[in-house]
Amino acid sequence: MKLFRAIFGGIAFALLTSGCASGVPYASMVSSIPPLKDGEGRIFFFRSGSMVGAAVTSDIQLNGEIVGKSQSGGFFFVDRPAGSYTAATSTEVEKSLSFALDSGEIKYVRSSISMGVLVGRVVLELEAPESARNELADLKFTGHLSRSAVARNTMATTAKASPSPTGKVTLDDLRGLLPAK
Amino acid sequence: MLNNFANFCNPLLMRRSLFLVIAVSLYIAGCAPMIPRVHAAFASIPDQTPETRIQLIQSVDVRLSTGYSRKLEAGSIWRLTGHLPQGRVYRSIGAPFTIEGAQVHEAYLVVYDGSLTGFYLPGEHMMSPLSTPIPLSIKGNT
Repeated sequence: MKLFRAIFGGIAFALLTSGCASGVPYASMVSSIPPLKDGEGRIFFFRSGSMVGAAVTSDIQLNGEIVGKSQSGGFFFVDRPAGSYTAATSTEVEKSLSFALDSGEIKYVRSSISMGVLVGRVVLELEAPESARNELADLKFTGHLSRSAVARNTMATTAKASPSPTGKVTLDDLRGLLPAK
Repeated sequence: MLNNFANFCNPLLMRRSLFLVIAVSLYIAGCAPMIPRVHAAFASIPDQTPETRIQLIQSVDVRLSTGYSRKLEAGSIWRLTGHLPQGRVYRSIGAPFTIEGAQVHEAYLVVYDGSLTGFYLPGEHMMSPLSTPIPLSIKGNT
């Protein structure tokens, strides 16, 4: 009986945590987020760290292209040219959100779990920037940021913060090229 | 125990249970209808145009044909962004506004002669008309 309980507990724990995001916290990587290019906007996709339905995940498609995954406690972003977009998730049914993206605009798309027939559904909705930014602070980055973009941006930040008085490149200047610990 | 098993195997009870399961499943599925959409000949205002805003004086509850409802909050501010034959198109300033049916759509207000005639869906370049226009209490130029 004890063994059965232990197995059941282990399975339940694994199911609950399998969908949870693991990655760099927002606060640790926010300075590495590159600035927007001209003519582009940015879409943040995020999901709160609620344990309810944490095991339910789904790919997120943007105009038919998979751009990331809806995971409990995770976020990622993509930059796209200004235009019209449809973001979609698919579990037992497809749920979508259509919106417009302007040049220089940042949109925040929240994914959450709603009740379904067999499994939960991942639904998408637009979130107000202020509340979205508050929530992002507790989430982990699950996307892909090119190393060169991170290094470029970190170097620019380092150079601005502490320019070498001699004009020579020092080891500190190259710190941004090193992989994150 | 045996009695319970016999009840469980009762065809009438099984049929009822099956019916209940299907009914609950359909309820949970919440098969919401798609929102009505029509083609929209949207013309955006030129970039140089001075910004025109309106503010809602009273909140309005909008009941959509999909069964969902949306509240247009008193004090919310909307910016003129273009025109449709059905009216002027205003975009929310601040919190984004969406309407919902089977799917979710970002929506701008379409206002004609002081009444809400429907919603422009910028992500699809379509309009979702209301069956009956809803009078709005507005501060600003419509």
